[in-house]
Amino acid sequence: MAFPLSRQKLLREWRLYFFVVPSLVMVLTFAYFPAASAVYHSFFDWSGGEAKQYIGLDNFKRAFTDSTLLNSFVTVGALMVFNLFKMIPSILLAVLIHRLFSDRWQYVYRALLVVPMIVPQLVTLFIWKFILDPNLGALNRVIEATGLKSVLVAINDFFGWSVFFEGVPIGWLSQPELILPALFIWGFPWIGTVGVLIYLAGLQSISTEIYEAAELDGIGPFKKFIYIELPLILTQVRLSLVLLIIGTLGGYGLQLLLLNEYGGPGGRGMVPGLWMYNRGFVAGEFGYACAIGMILFVVILSLTIINNRYVRVEK
Amino acid sequence: MSAAITASPLRRKRDWPKHSIIWAFILIELFPLYMMFQVSFKDNASFIRQPWLPLWPGEWQWDNWVFAFKLIGPYLANTVFVAVTGTVASLFLAILAAYFFARHKLPFSGFLWSAFLILMLLPGVANIVPLFMLLKNMSLLNTLLALILVGVAGAQVFNIFVLRHFIEDLPKDLFEAAEMDGASHFQQVINIVIPMASPIIGTLAILAFLNKWNDFLLPLIILRDKELFTLGVGLIYLDGEYVKQWGQIMASYFLASIPLIIIFLFTMRLFVRGLSAGAIKG
Repeated sequence: MAFPLSRQKLLREWRLYFFVVPSLVMVLTFAYFPAASAVYHSFFDWSGGEAKQYIGLDNFKRAFTDSTLLNSFVTVGALMVFNLFKMIPSILLAVLIHRLFSDRWQYVYRALLVVPMIVPQLVTLFIWKFILDPNLGALNRVIEATGLKSVLVAINDFFGWSVFFEGVPIGWLSQPELILPALFIWGFPWIGTVGVLIYLAGLQSISTEIYEAAELDGIGPFKKFIYIELPLILTQVRLSLVLLIIGTLGGYGLQLLLLNEYGGPGGRGMVPGLWMYNRGFVAGEFGYACAIGMILFVVILSLTIINNRYVRVEK
Repeated sequence: MSAAITASPLRRKRDWPKHSIIWAFILIELFPLYMMFQVSFKDNASFIRQPWLPLWPGEWQWDNWVFAFKLIGPYLANTVFVAVTGTVASLFLAILAAYFFARHKLPFSGFLWSAFLILMLLPGVANIVPLFMLLKNMSLLNTLLALILVGVAGAQVFNIFVLRHFIEDLPKDLFEAAEMDGASHFQQVINIVIPMASPIIGTLAILAFLNKWNDFLLPLIILRDKELFTLGVGLIYLDGEYVKQWGQIMASYFLASIPLIIIFLFTMRLFVRGLSAGAIKG
C-alpha cells in the first residue's frame, strides 16, 4: 500500500518522480494535447494550415442543420439496435456450453471459440466483404441454392419494392436499400469470443446444488435460464452493453472499409464517426470535423453516464 | 460440474442436442477460415468452377503463397517491428509509472492519478483529426515511429491501472529487504516487480500486441510510402485492386494471421485468460 512519507524521506525519494514522467509526457502529448486542440479548433474555420478564422459557434450551428450528420445518427441508432440483438447468440452459446456435463468438452469448445481470434480483424472484415460479393460470395450462392431467392423475389413483387430480381445477383453492398440489411447480416452467427468467455466466467459461480434443486422442483430449461443463469451474468451483460454503446457510436472502421468514405451508395451506411473522418480527411474542413468530434464525444459521454447511473453494475 | 453427473449414462444421452447446437455455431464461425485456407490454393478459374471443396493436394497452387509472401512479407516485418517495439516500450513505461503510484504516496500523486484516470473517459474518435495535425507539425507523418509513440501513449492508462493494483498487492517485506540491501528503486523494479508480476505482464503484453496487430485506421491515415506500410494498410490496398486474384488474396490473408497463430499456440492459456480479464476490466 502507498503511505504518506515524512519530510526527510521525501527529500530522499524525489527521484521517484522520474518514474512517472515518461508516461506523463506521452499522455500529455498524444492524448491531452489533441483533445484540447479539438475543443479549441471546433470554434474555428480551419483547413489544416496556418490560416484559421474564429467563427464562434458556427460549426455547431452548421452541424445541427447538416442533414448528413443527422441521418448518420439515425443510422448509428439502427446499428445499435442490431448490435443489441447480436448480443443474444453469445449469451445462449455461453449458457449451452456451461450446461454441458463434461468438463473436457467445455474446455474443447472454449478453445475452439478462441480460434477465430487468431485472424486479424481486418482479414475477418475482408472475408465478410467477400462473402457478401454479388457474383462469387457465399451468401448469394447459399440463397440461390436453397431456393430462398425465389421467396425473396416473390416478397419483392408482392410489396412492389425494386430490390430483388430473378436472375440478377443481389448486390448487398451496392444497392442502397440493402446496406443496412447487409450490416445486420455481417458477422453471422454473431458470436463474440470475448463475450462468451466473460459470460462463462460469470456462470462458473453457479453451484451444482442449485441445478439439482431446480431439477427436483421440475423447472424446465427455459425457466432455469431466466431464474438462475441470467441473473448471474447480468453484470457481464451490462458491461458488454456499455462497451457496445461506446464501440458502436464511435466506430467507423467497418463502414469505411466495407463501403467507402461516403458511407456507400446513397450514403446509407454513413455514421457520425465516418462523417467526421470524411469532413476532415476528404473535404479538408478540419474545424468542422473537430466540432463533429465534440458532439460525438458529448453524446457518448452522456450515454455512458446514464448507463452508470441507471444500469448499475454491482461487483 | 461434479463427477457424479458425468458418470450417469442417462445424462450423457441428454447432452447431444446441446452438442449439436454448439457444433452448428462453431462450424459456421470457422467456415470463413476454411474458405480462406482452401481458396488460397486455387486460381480464379478453378475457384469459379468449384468454390466450396478444396482441390487435391497435387493440384495446389503454391504460386499464390509465393506471391503473397513477396507482397505481404515487408508489411509483416513492419508490423512485427511496430507491435513488438510498441508493446515493450509501453509496458516498460507503464511498469515504472505503476511502481511510482503503488509504492509511495508523494505530493501530487493523487492529482497525477486522476489525470491518468480521466483519460479513460475520452473517446479516441474525437482526437483523430488534431492528432493527425500534431504528427504533421512534429514531422512524424509517414513514419513508423509515429505509430509506436501513439500506441505507447494510448496503452498507458489501462496498463498502469491494472499494474498498480498488482504491485500494491506484492508483499511489502520484499521491498523493505531490498531497501536494506541498498537497492535503488530502479533495481527494485527490475529484480522484484518484473519477475513477480510476470503473469500479468504477459497477459497485458498479449493484449497490447493484439491491439497493435489489428490497428488499421491510424496507419491508413499517416502512412504514404509503400515501404512503410503495415499489414492493415497493405491489405486495404490489396482489396482495392481492380482485378482480384482470390487465391493470392486469401493466401495473403492467411499469411497475415500466421504470427498470431504462432503466438496463440505458445500462449493459449494467457490468451484465454487475458481476453476474459481484459474484457472485464476494460
